[in-house]
Amino acid sequence: MTELKPDIEKRSEFDIEINGTVGKPFVDNPKMSSRNCDVFYGDKQAIFDVNLDIANNEIIAMIGPSGCGKSTYLRVLNRMNDTIPICKVTGEHTLDGEDIYGKKQDPVLLRARVGMVFQKPNPFPKSIYDNVAYGARLHGLASNRSELDDVVESSLIKAGLFKEVKDDLNKPGTGLSGGQQQRLCIARAIAVDPEVILMDEPTSALDPIATALIEELMDELKENYTIAIVTHSMQQAARVSQRTAYFHLGKLVEVNETDKVFTNPEHQLTENYITGRFG
Amino acid sequence: MELGQHISQRYNEELEDIRSKVLKMGGMVELQAENAVKSLLSHDRGLAKEVATTDSKINAMEMEIDEDCIRVIARRQPTARDLRLVIAVSKVITDLERIGDEAEKIALYSKKLAKKKTTIGMHADLTHLSELVLNILHDSLDAFARMDADQAVKILGSDKQVNVEFDNLSRLSITFMMEDPRQIKGTLRVNWCARSLERIAEHAQNICEYVIFLVKGKDVRHTSLEHIRSKYFPHDLDEETEENQAG
Amino acid sequence: MSKTTKKIEANLKKRYAKEKRFRAYGVVSLLISFAFLAVLLVTIFSKGLPAFQQTYIKLDIELNEKILGINKDSDEDALFSASYSKVVKNSLKEMFPGIKGRKQKRALKNLVSKSAAYDLRDKVLEKPTLLGTTQSYWFLAKDDVDVFMKGNIDRTLPESDRRIKDYQLAWIDKLMDEGRLEKRFNTVLFTEGDSREPEQAGMRGAIVGSLLTMLVTILLSFPIGVATAAYLEEFAPQNNRWVDLIEININNLAAVPSIVFGLLGLAVYINIFGVPRSTPLLGGLVLTLMTLPTIIIASRAAIKSVPPSIKEAAIGLGASRMQVLFQHTLPLAMPGILTGTIIGMAQALGETAPLLMIGMVAFVSDIPTGIFDPSTVMPVQIYLWSDSPERAFTERTSAAIMILLGFLVLMNVIAIVLRKKFEKKW
Repeated sequence: MTELKPDIEKRSEFDIEINGTVGKPFVDNPKMSSRNCDVFYGDKQAIFDVNLDIANNEIIAMIGPSGCGKSTYLRVLNRMNDTIPICKVTGEHTLDGEDIYGKKQDPVLLRARVGMVFQKPNPFPKSIYDNVAYGARLHGLASNRSELDDVVESSLIKAGLFKEVKDDLNKPGTGLSGGQQQRLCIARAIAVDPEVILMDEPTSALDPIATALIEELMDELKENYTIAIVTHSMQQAARVSQRTAYFHLGKLVEVNETDKVFTNPEHQLTENYITGRFG
Repeated sequence: MELGQHISQRYNEELEDIRSKVLKMGGMVELQAENAVKSLLSHDRGLAKEVATTDSKINAMEMEIDEDCIRVIARRQPTARDLRLVIAVSKVITDLERIGDEAEKIALYSKKLAKKKTTIGMHADLTHLSELVLNILHDSLDAFARMDADQAVKILGSDKQVNVEFDNLSRLSITFMMEDPRQIKGTLRVNWCARSLERIAEHAQNICEYVIFLVKGKDVRHTSLEHIRSKYFPHDLDEETEENQAG
Repeated sequence: MSKTTKKIEANLKKRYAKEKRFRAYGVVSLLISFAFLAVLLVTIFSKGLPAFQQTYIKLDIELNEKILGINKDSDEDALFSASYSKVVKNSLKEMFPGIKGRKQKRALKNLVSKSAAYDLRDKVLEKPTLLGTTQSYWFLAKDDVDVFMKGNIDRTLPESDRRIKDYQLAWIDKLMDEGRLEKRFNTVLFTEGDSREPEQAGMRGAIVGSLLTMLVTILLSFPIGVATAAYLEEFAPQNNRWVDLIEININNLAAVPSIVFGLLGLAVYINIFGVPRSTPLLGGLVLTLMTLPTIIIASRAAIKSVPPSIKEAAIGLGASRMQVLFQHTLPLAMPGILTGTIIGMAQALGETAPLLMIGMVAFVSDIPTGIFDPSTVMPVQIYLWSDSPERAFTERTSAAIMILLGFLVLMNVIAIVLRKKFEKKW
């Protein structure tokens, strides 16, 4: 009920306390959800008690200053942090109600269900075809060459790249432009038909046109996938997402509808961040 | 509400510039309205003429502020309170400009009324109404200047009183017209002036609504006062009930 | 111009002068190292090149059945054991009649290499019908003749200071007049094993020994080295004291003097495990110890340089750590790994000291046919020859160095080619 507080109280001193998350971090029937998530790198705690739901077929944007833990949290969701030996994740994390850190959960299977697109376009130094086919081959999704062809083609179509590369499928993926490479990475991710796609600053290395293409693509993918995107660009979060989560110093400060966050955020820290103020 | 503290000092200055321009425009409009009322009540033709000519300055000011707002939106992509400020300002100046128009109208009528001094019979009521309206205008501009939502919401209810006054004046003018049909023309003009005053109060209330939007982030247009108060200003209600109980 | 600009300008000249001086230093040091290299190569080549030629003597041999005591119907044993050196001696005697004194007789015999008798035997064994006829053959000349033919003995010196006496000179002159002396390409160097007689000594045993040793070394050190590097880089727990200890030790091993590995091989492989000494197997085992640190360090650097984004992409798609390693990390690191391996191999190829400790310095004239045969290796062969007193071994030593250098260059070329081939941009 912060919104009922008079404005004079909201504007406090420089170090503003974060007591839990304001806004609406929870939804009905979440696709993924985290409760009491703490992440440690050795002795250093990177994330403090994050509680968040991600709804079906939504795009949720995670924003916040550098080092605020948003990328770290994103990596919690498909256990990418497992690869860092000193990283310890606690709390409950579920995908469709299943515990993703449970003993029964296979991280390889989880990563097939929760795909990831990275900050820097990172196609394998292989052909475009092999890049897209990689995941399908890995998980044995296609039993013969023509099925694999179909997977590759449909993934490239979904990623909006097919028209541009259909004659060059055997050329190296690294020869494409930055924006095309990133769409190739998206095609590679959706070739395994994941349920959730995590995007870690997918357009930070791209020019505005390539960025716009990716954002348009995300809007289309929303129909079939749930997308969580970490971004440095608040404008991007405002453009593409339905909900926005603001992280600050490892804490989840505010989660709200994007419209609300960008017109009338509840928390002073959120406001300071998105309006470009000190704080 | 802080405008400053942006990392970009230039941005701070731009927003401050817009705000001070709006305050200046508000001052001009307030003066305009005061002068119009003064010319009406004191049958001052000279003053009326002056009011009629200064309106163009206000219009120019409106366009200038509008341009500033557009520039800030284009270059800074303001969000949250900055966005609300820019939007509120661009709406406030429209209302201010209308108030200026209404003041001009009053000045035009008072110029014509000055000769015959038709207003004498209704002087008391007109004075009362105009004082009320000018107060509302002043308070709402004040609320904007201080970005004080609490003050703004207090002003929101006061249009009822204006309506009562306006109705009284209307009834009075009907009596006058029935008594002496030769007075109809003059009385109607007085009535138009009263109507303009009522519009000014209405525009001033709009400004208050923008102030609430600016501070609270809630669009309170076309919402009942009770709803607004209970939803966004519960502490006001508490105070009032306390006061009532004390009384 | 502002004050600051003037200051900067004033300093600029000094800075440029400094830069020029620095560049000059670089060029000078480069030239010095090139000069040393040139001196080395010129010395070796000028000394070694003549060794690729060998002097042959043409003799008319009467295959006298009586002297040999055999005829064309004799069985192979008899043909084999007949005294062919006698006919060679007779042939020389016929050519230079009237030789007296034991000394002169021996000198006459020593015009031709001892291998002449064996050559003759092989020819007769091949074709027994030659018996009873007179044939002329080219035989290897004895090393002294060879040295003289190559101009390394000054005939103007007083006789007492010369290895070749006046009467020998007269014989050689006569042979030359008759066109019976000829220099040919030295095939012996590549086809024969080591020998006490310089004119019969070849590199083949050492080359084959080296190749077998390298084979053992690479078969052992490459998989072990790459696996160790991959484990340490990708799987080993970080900030673990044991892992740190292992890392430090590997780095230290790279700096251990190679002879220590030889001692280790002697103590462990021979004394404890009973690996046969002087064999390529043992050499390979010892050299594996020596090349492992090099391969591990190079492989780790190569694996480290694989962009983590590629690995992350694969993990993000659901690849297991092993799949990431074999499908992405190792293929991308392969150029670096191969370069490191080949550099390690080249190092091992040129290594002598540890092999001395494990008996590969023994005189082995047979050409090894497997990794269990006693053998020697090229650098040890060079060492042995450089130690030999005969004048003719000097040029052979240089020639052997040239051959070794040739192999090293070849390996480096292979390293470059492999790197170019595997290198991929990302």
